[in-house]
Amino acid sequence: MRMPEFAYVLAVCDRQYRVFRKLLGSSLVSNVANPILFLFAFGFGMGAFIDTMSGMSYLTFVVAGMIGYSAAFTASFETSIGAFTRYFLQKNWDAILSTPVTLTELLLGEVFWASAKALFSAICVLIVGWIWGGVPHSFLPLLTLPIVFIGAICFACAGLVATAYAKGYEFFAYFFTFWVTPMFVFCGVFFEISRFPEFIQYIAWIFPMTHLVAALRPLTANIGIDAAVILLHVGYVILFSVAAFWVAHRRLKQRLYD
Amino acid sequence: MDNTAVIAARNLVKRYGPLEVVKGIDFTVPTGQCFGLLGPNGAGKSTTMRMIMGLAEITSGELTVFGASASHMTREVKAKIGLVPQDSNLDPDITVLENLQAFGRYFALSPAVIAERSERLLDFMQLGDKRHAPVHALSGGMKRRLTIARALIGNPELVILDEPTTGLDPQARVLIWKQLGELKKQGRTLLLTTHYMDEAQRLCDQIVIVDNGTVLDQGTPEELIARHVKGFVFEVQKPALAQSPDSRWDQEDIGDSVLYFVDETAEFIADLPENAVYLHRPANLEDVFLRLTGRILREN
Repeated sequence: MRMPEFAYVLAVCDRQYRVFRKLLGSSLVSNVANPILFLFAFGFGMGAFIDTMSGMSYLTFVVAGMIGYSAAFTASFETSIGAFTRYFLQKNWDAILSTPVTLTELLLGEVFWASAKALFSAICVLIVGWIWGGVPHSFLPLLTLPIVFIGAICFACAGLVATAYAKGYEFFAYFFTFWVTPMFVFCGVFFEISRFPEFIQYIAWIFPMTHLVAALRPLTANIGIDAAVILLHVGYVILFSVAAFWVAHRRLKQRLYD
Repeated sequence: MDNTAVIAARNLVKRYGPLEVVKGIDFTVPTGQCFGLLGPNGAGKSTTMRMIMGLAEITSGELTVFGASASHMTREVKAKIGLVPQDSNLDPDITVLENLQAFGRYFALSPAVIAERSERLLDFMQLGDKRHAPVHALSGGMKRRLTIARALIGNPELVILDEPTTGLDPQARVLIWKQLGELKKQGRTLLLTTHYMDEAQRLCDQIVIVDNGTVLDQGTPEELIARHVKGFVFEVQKPALAQSPDSRWDQEDIGDSVLYFVDETAEFIADLPENAVYLHRPANLEDVFLRLTGRILREN
């Protein structure tokens, strides 16, 4: 296999960026306005009933969750339904593979663009949380950004696995129901996972989202930061990404080449 | 002229499970020529093209493209090939010009080169006034022209065209033929598949006719015509047929009428009864194709 070269990966991202610029309005609504609405609803609504959670205000608690979730949702959508459309419907991938771009570069381009877009949504949530007082006024929360990017890469790779195995759009109903929604519900976005029965907690720790939120929350709240623990969570997310990318690449190679 | 082969296939085989789609074909595409790969649907043309593009694994035999094996295609070789696929896979989310620019990036060209070539190609394919149009606003002919322009962005030495004029109106076909001729003059090698025998006869220097995964014959259009169908065709309606015994004339029964392939027109006309109803025309590549591949519909 040829070593991937950055220029070709960037060429794939560049095409996505051109489309993003055109569809900026709808992109902003789904990737930015959506999580911010959740933030308001839960921060204001639920926050009125809950004094503290994990030793922080509920708003602070939920900001970290929403940063993670907005990144997860954006990246997952981009490399599942978005990528599947380019691959299956538009035959855009066939066109790209007839050029010097390799499959690995094409997939890396998809993953990096999805992650960049996800990072953008996460930054918007962080800014809103910061303005609103859910994030301490320090530079510490900026440390979350590289971690969010790594998390987004992981969700993008998982989305590619769905694309690699999808036979049609209906397949993504399973992907969103059994992968994306659980990350919203079971992974510590809105409340501590310790409230669940023990076996559900074990399942929750399989999802990279749980690790991502656990790594982000001390940083956005500036409470109980333990570098070793954060690195451990990030390490799990990275391993998950590598495995998912490998599976997606293998399957897509079978499907795109004969 | 440089006579080294751009593509060389030797005993090339492709199997999908137990199904052998390409059964040991040999052909050589010389530099600077327009090479036609003809055959009915399901003959193995598309599979062969996919192998040439490095998109399908070679089961056995040898296939070299620019002297290197197609099964381990390097980036340098890939950069010398422009592909015009049969079905449009233009990017519908961006404009005409952006389609060219995006492709330029896939070939890792500098922005200056992309800008210069995009303009030249829009001009070449007469799409200049559509540069900012979205792809979905283009007619079928414009889409095909854009697909050809896109394939040329990397300044390829080899252009592979899979049925470039299928479904187009005569005006669009004539323009594409003219520009393909222009590409040949620039010294590029063209590999073409088509179902239009007039197109193949007009454009191709060399033709290979394949069916059921094997090569039936190859040569120049003139050679193929001379070899298989003689100079002229008489399509004589039944029942008033030639009077000599069947063995005298090369003939083929096609149902309501009989085709006679003859060189000696005057003698043949003298052999027809007074009341014969017939059409008389020079033999062409379509006659060769139908004689070699048969008249049975492939969909049946």
